[in-house]
Amino acid sequence: MKSWKIGLLFSETGVTSIIERSQLNGALLAIDQINAKGGVRGIPIQPVSYDPASVTRKYGELAEKMIVEDKIGVIFGCYMSSSRKEVLPVVERRNALFFYPTLYEGFEYSPNVIYGGACPNQNSVPLANYLMNTYGNRFYFVGSDYIYPRESNRVMRNVLRQGGGEVLGEVYFDLEARQADFSEVIDDIMDKKPDVIFSTVVGQGCIEFYKAYHTAGGDGRTCPIASLTMNEGEIEAIGCEASAGHITAAPYFRAINSPANRSFLKAYRAKFGSTVDVTSGCEAAYSQVHLFAAALEETGEIDTESLREVLLGASFDAPQGLIKIDPDNNHTYLRSCIAKVNEAGEFVIQAKVRRAIKPDPYLVFPTIHDWSFRTLKVVGGGRKNE
Amino acid sequence: MSDPIQDLRDLHALVVHPRDRSADELLQQVNRIGCHFDHMWPLPRTLPDKFDLVFLDVTDQSAQRLTSFLNSNEKAPTIIAIIGYENPSVLDVIFEIGAHAVLTKPVRAAGVLSSMLMARRYQQEQLRFKKELKKVREKLDNVQKVNDAKFILMRHRGITERDAYDLIRKQAMTKRTTTTEIAQSIINAESILSNMGDA
Repeated sequence: MKSWKIGLLFSETGVTSIIERSQLNGALLAIDQINAKGGVRGIPIQPVSYDPASVTRKYGELAEKMIVEDKIGVIFGCYMSSSRKEVLPVVERRNALFFYPTLYEGFEYSPNVIYGGACPNQNSVPLANYLMNTYGNRFYFVGSDYIYPRESNRVMRNVLRQGGGEVLGEVYFDLEARQADFSEVIDDIMDKKPDVIFSTVVGQGCIEFYKAYHTAGGDGRTCPIASLTMNEGEIEAIGCEASAGHITAAPYFRAINSPANRSFLKAYRAKFGSTVDVTSGCEAAYSQVHLFAAALEETGEIDTESLREVLLGASFDAPQGLIKIDPDNNHTYLRSCIAKVNEAGEFVIQAKVRRAIKPDPYLVFPTIHDWSFRTLKVVGGGRKNE
Repeated sequence: MSDPIQDLRDLHALVVHPRDRSADELLQQVNRIGCHFDHMWPLPRTLPDKFDLVFLDVTDQSAQRLTSFLNSNEKAPTIIAIIGYENPSVLDVIFEIGAHAVLTKPVRAAGVLSSMLMARRYQQEQLRFKKELKKVREKLDNVQKVNDAKFILMRHRGITERDAYDLIRKQAMTKRTTTTEIAQSIINAESILSNMGDA
């Protein structure tokens, strides 16, 4: 055998391409690092990458193609839940192993999937706490029209209610929505003057929405848009001025000050020239490839049963800190940070939880006062980006 | 009515199933969902008090044994049958034991949560309907009694239906009891009196 073939299924074109390209880069970087050290058991990892072009149906078809035609047993990929749901039956039927490096809405478990992103208990609750303490408890919900935003808003509404807050409006938009489509809802926001806008608009729509809010005179410093998905890559596209003051909660930010993150960013810059598009999804893909390679080193064969056996409970010193795959549910223990965009378009970390939070994908009603969700104030906002 | 989704993590579930791959999948998924759970096999004689919901493997079991196990506790549990075959004879067993939902072997993680919720909801609704039906029956009985009493009074005193009813109501108020009680007394008295006449 000349190489270990693994599949990469991220869109390089279409509405979710900014974030998925960043995830693809994270995976490619990890593969480079592993191969530079001599691969796994002396054999290099060879990525096979297909572009589903942000078309939901293609994810399932291409996953099938990877498994059947390319004889690949391990796939990394997907951003939106709808695309994961396309891949899920394929990997289950063919008994392949699928790594999903993206936050999602929970309520899923498949023995064939390793979930690398946050579920709501790991990021929604810390975010809600922070927002209510810092800005107030009158929220306005804007989201893309699919399962993740609807479920996120259900969780957020519930946590808000426990904190005595209220939801002034809840509106959903098509994934293809343009700046002009948001004008009506932004008028309503300007009229109702909420304390915070909670946005679950994803992909290109996110960029359009932040721009439209800025154009209409919205200011993140007085009424921020808070999100679980808005990331470094999207700030780049939105522009510094329109991004300033807005809030994101995620397990990873470029601004995290740690040796692991510094060396990760250094390697990323060396490979791709700059680190502007490094996101939490990128970090998750990077970490998952490393977790996989370490497991493969132990099993010596790409076999779903034995890889899973090694992966469950495995940990990795990720750029965000130590992470671990929870053997109870295939999800990942992750940290949670809350960051605000400064005038220069950089995230500055405002608060973080003390330790990695156990994933609880089947938690129906997270409680606001759970001690594990308490955040610590971060002085100085972590590291300034070099 | 309580909300099955909200109360999910308060549930005590019992899995009665041979310890195989299906049972493991099921136990792990119930654990992920966050319920308290226990496993028992073979089929015990009686169902302990604490369980609200039972996953019950019905393969190669007689409906009689299953029913006697399920009825061994006053608190009727929610029943989710686990079946290996979809033959009419197996399906008959499901009906006979009054299962509220079904899972098929091999059990997969996906679908367990939905079937638990559907079963809880279906059982709660059944209970509510039973309770309401009982109430409606009682009410109908009462109306019938008052009617009978009214006719007795009308016959004996030559008064109108309206007056007969007012009389019953007044009696109920002075004796601080219900119109049904008074109606029952009138009916009883009438039957005693007429029996005396026969003697």
